[in-house]
Amino acid sequence: MSAQPQRNVIANALAQIGEAGLFGLTLLAAVPRSMKHARETVRQLWFVGAMSLTIIMVCGLFVGMVLGLQLYYVLSIFGGTAASGTVVAIAIYRELGPVVTALLFAGRAGTSITAEIGLMRATDQLAAMEMMAVDPIAYVAVPRYLAGLIAMPLLCAVFCALGIFGGHLVGVTWLGIDNGTFWSNMTATVDVWKDVVNGIVIKSAVFGAVVSLIAVYQGYTTPPTSEGVAYATTRTVVASSIAILALDFVLTAFLM
Amino acid sequence: MSQRNSYAVGTGLFIVLGFAALAYLATQTTSIANTHQGASYTVQAHFANIGQLKERAPVKIAGVRVGQVRSIVLDPEKEAAEVTLAIDERYSHIPDDSVAAIFTSGLLGDQYVGIQYGNSNKDVAEGGTLARTKPAQQLEEMLGKFFGAGGVADNLGGSYTLKARFSNVGALSAGAPVKMAGVPIGSVAAVHADPVRLDAEVILVIDKKYDQIPDDSAAAVFTSGLIGTQYVAIQPGGSPEMLKNGDEMVLTQSAMQLEDLIGKFLVNGSPSEQKDAPAGKQ
Repeated sequence: MSAQPQRNVIANALAQIGEAGLFGLTLLAAVPRSMKHARETVRQLWFVGAMSLTIIMVCGLFVGMVLGLQLYYVLSIFGGTAASGTVVAIAIYRELGPVVTALLFAGRAGTSITAEIGLMRATDQLAAMEMMAVDPIAYVAVPRYLAGLIAMPLLCAVFCALGIFGGHLVGVTWLGIDNGTFWSNMTATVDVWKDVVNGIVIKSAVFGAVVSLIAVYQGYTTPPTSEGVAYATTRTVVASSIAILALDFVLTAFLM
Repeated sequence: MSQRNSYAVGTGLFIVLGFAALAYLATQTTSIANTHQGASYTVQAHFANIGQLKERAPVKIAGVRVGQVRSIVLDPEKEAAEVTLAIDERYSHIPDDSVAAIFTSGLLGDQYVGIQYGNSNKDVAEGGTLARTKPAQQLEEMLGKFFGAGGVADNLGGSYTLKARFSNVGALSAGAPVKMAGVPIGSVAAVHADPVRLDAEVILVIDKKYDQIPDDSAAAVFTSGLIGTQYVAIQPGGSPEMLKNGDEMVLTQSAMQLEDLIGKFLVNGSPSEQKDAPAGKQ
């Protein structure tokens, strides 16, 4: 940021949001053209999705375990440890699953997308593609955007499954909450549409779309210098985190 | 080409894993999963009141979990809740005079079915019924007995839409459930104060299925657990005459106010008050 003029910070931010929105429309318009690069989309899906599985699974497990531990501690004051299964599931489905997955996704995949496209820009690879009549939007930007959009809900589902496994591991296996009570309370309270579909499918798909858009946009509009790439990568993480948490509030208010 | 194939396979695996996780979560951790059954045999028991017992709640013998509650339905003829217990086949030797009771884990904990062994030589058969049961204890009933406030009815008022009058409805609001034997059978349509008689008139809308409620049944405002929401409980009487549309229920029991009860307790139990009071003033 310091490299840029500090005046009109708000106007700059608004301009960035507007440009990112217009860029998003350009990407959507280019989706049909990128269909001939479907193989590239699969390769990107492998890179942003499958390669992110390890970090998502480990983090999901630990988030679930710490939830189980904290809830056991608090609920045992009221003699209500039986409710910990319900609370773990609802907390993970509704908030922690989509939000933490999106934050991890921005850090793991968003940055690498920005850096990769930014370096392509800095080393004139995008210009070279245009010279060869290959549309860089359709070949570079859209496959990465689509891959992020598809990968986020799937990663979120894996995160939630591991989170509940972690909560079960701590609550039932270590701390001795009754297994049947844990599951029966969970299944009695958790609703497919209000909790699972709203959380895993809708929220994480929206987060996936926004994070991927920010990552691709920041990379595509990088100043073609090594410093520019560094700033763009930082901005991807900062903007994604703010967008995820702000959108989470808005989505929760609408989906409640 | 081989490298291309390897990432394609990996991506496919990733997509399959993601959808498998989603399918597992959607079917196994939500209300859809309640149909799951293991190798077990089933026994039925009728309870006058199941309290907060839920499906899949544990069934315990001597404190050891032996099975779970498979289903809870209201049997309108017996005016009791019919609870089906799925018990592990290893524990199938349950004497037919055993007692099934509904207990609560702790003060606020979940409810479960406890079976106390009887002495009979005959075992209860697959699909049989445990005749001897003890219903869930309502906190209000226990407190009511404790304070001598009258177990069933301490207030005479007068009403398919049914009417019932309470001197105090507590936090009861329109939409609250009406339960018989712990199973919801209707809801509260309206609660309004009567400007002449200076009490609360509650309109109950009850499911047509349950039109066999004796006219000497009592209506009471109960609370789910210690801090739960309030509901109207109907305790069936023994009269051969049934309540009809527009009737008023005569026997009612108002909501117990926790503050009142604690107040009475503090006034009656003066030693504790005297001990506490000086300490408070110092």
